[in-house]
Amino acid sequence: MIAKCLRDWRRTLIWWTIGIGAFMALYLGTYQSIKQAPEIYGPAGLAKFPGALRDLMGGLEDFTSGTGYLQSVVYQLFVPFLFIVCAMVLAGRALAGPEEAGTLELIVTLPVDRRRLVLERFASIALGLLAVAAVTLLVTWAMAEAVGMGVGFDRILAAHLGVYLLALLFGTVTLAVGAATGRKAAASAVMGVWAVLGYMVVTIGRNVEAIAWLKWVSPFHYYAEGRPLYEGLPAGDYLVLAAATAVLALTAVLAFDRRDVGV
Amino acid sequence: MTAVVRAEGLTKYYGRRRGLEDLTLDIRPGEIFGYLGPNGAGKTTTIRLLLDVIRPTRGHVRVLGADSREAAVRRRIGYLPGDLALEEREPGRAYLQFLGKVRGGVPAARIDALAERLDADLSVPMRKLSKGNRQKIGLIQAFMHEPEFLILDEPTGGLDPLVQQEFLAMVREVRTSGRTVLMSSHVLAEVEHVSDRVGIVRAGRLVAVENVAALREKAVRRVEFHFDAPVPREAFEHLPGVRDLRVAGASVRCTIDGRPDPLIKAAARFTVVHMVSAEPDLEEIFLTYYSGEDHDHDRQVSA
Repeated sequence: MIAKCLRDWRRTLIWWTIGIGAFMALYLGTYQSIKQAPEIYGPAGLAKFPGALRDLMGGLEDFTSGTGYLQSVVYQLFVPFLFIVCAMVLAGRALAGPEEAGTLELIVTLPVDRRRLVLERFASIALGLLAVAAVTLLVTWAMAEAVGMGVGFDRILAAHLGVYLLALLFGTVTLAVGAATGRKAAASAVMGVWAVLGYMVVTIGRNVEAIAWLKWVSPFHYYAEGRPLYEGLPAGDYLVLAAATAVLALTAVLAFDRRDVGV
Repeated sequence: MTAVVRAEGLTKYYGRRRGLEDLTLDIRPGEIFGYLGPNGAGKTTTIRLLLDVIRPTRGHVRVLGADSREAAVRRRIGYLPGDLALEEREPGRAYLQFLGKVRGGVPAARIDALAERLDADLSVPMRKLSKGNRQKIGLIQAFMHEPEFLILDEPTGGLDPLVQQEFLAMVREVRTSGRTVLMSSHVLAEVEHVSDRVGIVRAGRLVAVENVAALREKAVRRVEFHFDAPVPREAFEHLPGVRDLRVAGASVRCTIDGRPDPLIKAAARFTVVHMVSAEPDLEEIFLTYYSGEDHDHDRQVSA
């Protein structure tokens, strides 16, 4: 079952890997020229950007240090969201998509327990994302070495693990809503709203007292707060992400197990 | 012997919309059960309940002696959905192999033999196949693991007549080997030649379960006699079962219910030059069940 899922998704997985890998290579490749223009990209230069934009980009402290550049350009916004969208696409194809297409009807009449079916779909998403994450991790590390960023592999690994856990969490959100409703659009919408609002809350919203407390329900809080590129693996925060994922996966199992399929 | 299907008070509502109401039905081992009704009557609802795709609102059903919720029992069932949807990109063979593996293994030779019988193309991505050719893949996957119980929802949709014949032969072989078939259709003609019993469902209720042989005996038959000379009308009047009698010169036309024996004996007194007897039209009986139900309803209202 899992092997079949991954085989079905192989094109998607390969293209996302190439896409994210190319994005990394492209942006990290320009680091050299940015490092040589500290008057624009150094702390003083970045301070000229509008405050809201700086907040949105997680502060934009410094582009000229390897860590700062990697954090701002790769791990702040673009790569997490690329991964999240990839996870959403895979999760949409796991249950809700086949249910809407009608192909799930034959699958649920196979001699496979429904709960096991959902768990296997979850495992497929986890493994598929892991493959994309592993390859792009190597690309990032290789590029970082090539342009002399001076960021250790352990730090990149810590940050990349965060991206993986974050994407898996949002993928599981999509899976759970899809399992409960059978609707791909609903699942993507719920995930999208949570992701965008969650990101806003920990960036622009962090200084707005009225909504700052919402950071506790934003996965990005647990993703970014520990600053893994600067301080290494934030084990506690990542455990929160993993635990939330497990709870959501369980929700997906229970929701799908009690539902009528395809009506 | 345990019934292959034992449904008791099986009821399904989709919200407030009725899908199936209070179905009580036994399907016996080794029989071919035709499940008939117009579109939307509740056939697919019944089938999906048997397979645990949907869950009953009330009542319960046992399939092959097990609760329908038990996944393992589905290894012994072959199912062809009414709205067959196949994986678009995959070629038929890969898809069938996958389904076979999950059901505990199906020899490749058996898949090939079935494909050859039905003239199915297993090498191209399934989205490129016509409706009839997709249906063949659906049939192969239902038959290939030689299940004890086959559930076929509108199996002949899109098949050309030759393949339909081959399919009916496959169904008969299943019966010969002592296995059971539940086959739904909205056209009686599709199932009457293979079915042992038919159940007729209408507006969510099972209105009749009939033995096909008995049904045929009750069937309305159109008969036409041509004689060598004009015949008197009185000779054919008041014969049991004869209706709509029309005598015109040397020809007699009528319909008969049940056995044709009295009519034949009456005709034998004259010289018959030509005789036409149409196949008993079970469709008409089928329709009588529907209209009969309406009459009951009217009576209740007037009472």
